[in-house]
Amino acid sequence: MEGYLPWQWCVVWWFIALPCLVFGIYRLKKVLEMDHEALPLLGVTGGFIFILSSLKLPSITGSCSHPTGTGLSAVCFGPWITSVVCAIVLLFQSLFLAHGGLSVLGANVVSMGIIGPIAGYIVYRALRDTRVNMYLTVFLACAIADLFTYITTSLELALATPAEVGGITSSFVLFMGIFAFTQVPLAIVEGIVLALVFKYIVQLKPDIILRLKVFPEEKIRAARGEA
Amino acid sequence: MAFKYRLEILTILAILGFCALFLYTSSIMNEAEFAGADTQGSALVAEITGKSEEEFQPLIWQWSPPSGEIEAGIFALQAAIGGIMVGWVFGYWKGQKKTA
Repeated sequence: MEGYLPWQWCVVWWFIALPCLVFGIYRLKKVLEMDHEALPLLGVTGGFIFILSSLKLPSITGSCSHPTGTGLSAVCFGPWITSVVCAIVLLFQSLFLAHGGLSVLGANVVSMGIIGPIAGYIVYRALRDTRVNMYLTVFLACAIADLFTYITTSLELALATPAEVGGITSSFVLFMGIFAFTQVPLAIVEGIVLALVFKYIVQLKPDIILRLKVFPEEKIRAARGEA
Repeated sequence: MAFKYRLEILTILAILGFCALFLYTSSIMNEAEFAGADTQGSALVAEITGKSEEEFQPLIWQWSPPSGEIEAGIFALQAAIGGIMVGWVFGYWKGQKKTA
């Protein structure tokens, strides 16, 4: 939403986004140097960010919103590399679709590429070494990444436009009603779809998941034995 | 756990459930326009700040698709790029598995 954030806030979010992107590019280079088979995996996880973020899906609130697709990438590569892929997608949408914009790109990278994936990554790290099913972990990570993206968007808008009565808190609640509430069913469907994609990755190319230490070996073996 | 396609079935059910939910909401909410959440968001920003939506101009000039059809086409292009990437890699892995 180019123009809806005052320039001061645009600068603030750019300042937060830029170092994360630089670190993401550095991490990406390192991962690709270490293991050239990581590139195809990046293609799959990035491809799904491209696909899912292009879909505008209707929701229970009578409005439409996009899924983000970032959770899978956050699980496989961590949030920093994910932020780089998101920046590419968001740049595409700013340049060709008037969706977002160059001034708000920083804010959008923070919500979709940084906070959302970090939230998903925390969920994944918390559950990785427990007995929780691997696909359930991916599902939860993806759904949480999606939800937190829109919670962050609501917060960004609320900070920039506090309501006259109740200030930031009350406008945060209003923006949450528009963005986060709409997102709940989308986040659930996105989580399940990405969990299924992850199952196919594990079936076709378990060694790359193993080498990147996405999940411990016993879990992958167990999942391949059963499914 | 014994059933091989549990996750596939779950995915289909979730998508069907999503469609059913959409049909239900669109039948009971006659006034629902299914506009983008960002359109509603912009309207809310305008409402809170007390400015009209026309006052919000892009800070940096940007090209916007001249019509909804063209926008839909570019969104489809974006999805296609993603689809090609995913399909290419899955095919590559499948081929690798065969030759191994």
